[in-house]
Amino acid sequence: MWATNLKVVGIVLGTLFVYTVICNKIPQMQSEVPQKLTLGPNATPEQLVAAGEKVFNGIGGCVACHGLGTRAPNLLTDEKGTGPIGQRCAKREPGKSCKQYLYESLDQPTAYVVAGYQPIMPQVTKLIPPDQVWAVIAFLESQGGTVDVTGADIQKAAPAGGGGAAAAGGGGGGGGGGFAHGSSDPKAIIKEAGCVNCHMLDGQGGALAPDLTHVGSRRDAQSIRQKIVDPGSSITKGFENLAGVMPKNFATMMSPAQLDALVQYLAGHK
Amino acid sequence: MADGLFFLTAAAADSVRAYGEFPIIGARAAVWIAAEVHLMFAAFVLGVPMFAVVAEAIGIFGKEARYDRLAKEFTRLLLVAYSATAIWGAILVFFLATLYPRFWAYLTAVFAASMWVYAGLFFFESFTLYLYYYGWDRWKYGRAKLVHWTLGILLNVWGTIVMLIANSWLTYMMTPPRDITSTTDPSSIKLWHAIANATWMPINVHRLIANVVFGGAIVAAYASYRFLAAQNDEERAHYDWMGYVGNFIAISALIVLPFAGYWLGREVYQYDQSMGITMMGGFMSWLWVIQAFLIAVLFLAGNYYLWIGMGRIPGAERFRPYIKYLLTVLVLGAIVWGTPHTMIADSKELAAMGGSHHPLLGALGVMSAKNTAVNLMILTTFLSFLMYRRGNKELVVPWAETGTRIQTAMFVIAAGIVLFYGIRGYFVEAIVRIGFSVYQVLAVLSCILFVTVIDVLMARGAKSVGEIQWGKMPPRSQYALFILAVTFTWLMGLMGFARSGIRQYWHVWQVMEDTSKYAATPALGYASQMISLCVLIFLGLVAFVFWLGGLAEKSTFVSSGEGGGRHVGH
Ligand code: HEC
Ligand code: HEC
Repeated sequence: MWATNLKVVGIVLGTLFVYTVICNKIPQMQSEVPQKLTLGPNATPEQLVAAGEKVFNGIGGCVACHGLGTRAPNLLTDEKGTGPIGQRCAKREPGKSCKQYLYESLDQPTAYVVAGYQPIMPQVTKLIPPDQVWAVIAFLESQGGTVDVTGADIQKAAPAGGGGAAAAGGGGGGGGGGFAHGSSDPKAIIKEAGCVNCHMLDGQGGALAPDLTHVGSRRDAQSIRQKIVDPGSSITKGFENLAGVMPKNFATMMSPAQLDALVQYLAGHK
Repeated sequence: MADGLFFLTAAAADSVRAYGEFPIIGARAAVWIAAEVHLMFAAFVLGVPMFAVVAEAIGIFGKEARYDRLAKEFTRLLLVAYSATAIWGAILVFFLATLYPRFWAYLTAVFAASMWVYAGLFFFESFTLYLYYYGWDRWKYGRAKLVHWTLGILLNVWGTIVMLIANSWLTYMMTPPRDITSTTDPSSIKLWHAIANATWMPINVHRLIANVVFGGAIVAAYASYRFLAAQNDEERAHYDWMGYVGNFIAISALIVLPFAGYWLGREVYQYDQSMGITMMGGFMSWLWVIQAFLIAVLFLAGNYYLWIGMGRIPGAERFRPYIKYLLTVLVLGAIVWGTPHTMIADSKELAAMGGSHHPLLGALGVMSAKNTAVNLMILTTFLSFLMYRRGNKELVVPWAETGTRIQTAMFVIAAGIVLFYGIRGYFVEAIVRIGFSVYQVLAVLSCILFVTVIDVLMARGAKSVGEIQWGKMPPRSQYALFILAVTFTWLMGLMGFARSGIRQYWHVWQVMEDTSKYAATPALGYASQMISLCVLIFLGLVAFVFWLGGLAEKSTFVSSGEGGGRHVGH
């Protein structure tokens, strides 16, 4: 009987041992808590790049998509013959420098969607603080290009006054007018918010998301408002695989009056 | 009472201490162990009553006394495991309240009412269990037996509700309704709103099934131990049979588990895409490779046990030559299933591999290939089982040959459909591909259903080549059952880590941040050590508890003659 007992214990311990060893042999990834990097205006490019690499591999969550696999373009290695990201970034959009393009990729990922991919890239500027965004940009530039991010970029981005994503959008809009210069013209709001990058409306716009031309016949004003304020609240039938793609920050971008105008306008599209 | 409770929780929330400390292993590890071991016992005491009741019903309505004895033996295991569940539950609550007081105060503020109901039901459940077990011999015949059976059903009802309530707490932590933010006053949250969150139902279903799997596996391990320790042939036969039943239950329930898993995964994606991506492609991507490996071990060990089992069935030698093909399919399927899609790799590894579009991962790692692999593995396991069933039967119905041909055709068609959509999946949009997996699953399930029906009809009046010789099993088959039980338990610990880990540094996802020094979610290496430790504690306690149970019963196993039925004693 003791022999049997020993054998049983041996099998149990052996199995546990094998599983534990295997799990310790594979690459060890810990999920870190996001930390404030506190990179000041006089951070050197080397510091920025080093910090950026950390963000990229860690809390930025970039490797989830830009890791192995075909979900997103290669950044650190060659992408279809165009070189790593530092080499190709200045050639993506005419008139946009490498730095500008990279910032746009992180701030308005749908503004330029790399051909052959789904627009699933999240708005990174909303997820991590500005200094980390700039650090990541410096890191990406260092992949085959020259780093021209400086402490000044961080300083410019930092204080701009509570506006969060909108304020960080170095694009120069600002000027106190708020979103779409405070306009309550729904067409201007739609243009500025970029709804038509994804949606078709009155025959114009993108084909990714549901056509909004007759959205008023499917949803009432309340439901449209809900969808804009909290896109996760309801997912359109047939578009389940795109759930989570529609940006979640519209409500924080526009004033209540602008939101009202937008909702009324869409609800009128029967 | 509600007021008083609120006062208590408010007082706790106001106190400055957000976290307590635990000596040596730390607060997180302490809660981890308490929660996991509690959960394992809970899963066992929820799973086992389900088939105890079914076994009793077979005993009553099918007039098979050995099933009644089996049901009672299941229940005896329950009795002792039950107090262990309660003790570990109390330890868990104590740890949470002292080591994570701020979080605990939050949770009670939201869920206080349901916690009272929980405690009340737990009481009812214990009471019902005692009646059920101790009334077994008193209410043995006629109407009293039916009343007794109803007690068993009631036991399941209580247990299930208790589980649903507990699930609402932990699913709320993962997927709190979207309108709840970090500034929402917890006492203003409507209870039902918090309970009916996005992952509640999928987790409920997933756990219900997983508990059956788990209960079956542990019972099988128990039986195999008793088999190895058996003193005479009759005892050996009984425990061989019991181990077979436990394993059968575990494997059949395992087959439907992936579908519940897909549902859960889909809900997570819909709730928050980035959570879904963290889960499947982020820092947890390796976890799924390990999961696939464990499931492959389960499939292989389960089939291996069936194949050896054919040795005790006269006539089953006919099927032996096929085993090598089945084995090939299983191994290939396991490899494909284990191929990850997007793997996390840091910048150095990426450079070393020369880019992230790895050809093999690209082709085999996608959902299409995985669905195809797992469906084929399920079909293969079913085929093993059919051969096992057919083992000692000489079919007599005139259409036996035609029937077998139809069955074969069904297998071929189902496998064809699975392969067809698997390959098509590479050429279509993701949205269409998701629909394909439904066709694959439907093909497999209808194949299983129709083939079983035909098989049952065909077996009518079949001549027996010889009785199954229960007890005539080599010991190595029993060790396979142990590996199954350990692997199931370990897998459960791993999935628990995945479920809890995707919250990352949040107690309540994007509502309440974990600001303790344990906020980072550990890597798989550390997690695997914790899981192994929990499994060891659990199995150690189970062994002890079963040994205790056995002490009382040892002297009462009295030979019961040819019928192999009556359990004397007690
Ligand atoms: C949910 C998946 C996902 C995550 C997470 C993600 N990306 Fe992306 N990213 C994409 C996809 C898909 C594309 C290509 C489509 C597009 O341009 O939007 C892309 C494109 C880009 C591009 C443009 C590439 C080019 O060739 O022009 C850059 C730069 C980039 N991502 C950087 C990042 C950084 C930095 C992070 C982490 C902070 C990140 N991404 C996180 C999916 C993701
Ligand atoms: C990045 C792409 C993207 C942008 C930008 C975007 N949406 Fe969407 N939207 C989607 C997708 C994808 C869906 C369908 C999936 C879902 O329901 O989430 C959707 C669904 C909707 C729906 C529901 C349609 C229906 O028929 O049920 C409404 C209404 C809507 N969006 C309004 C807007 C408005 C207004 C804006 C601009 C303020 C906007 N969206 C910007 C991607 C986008």
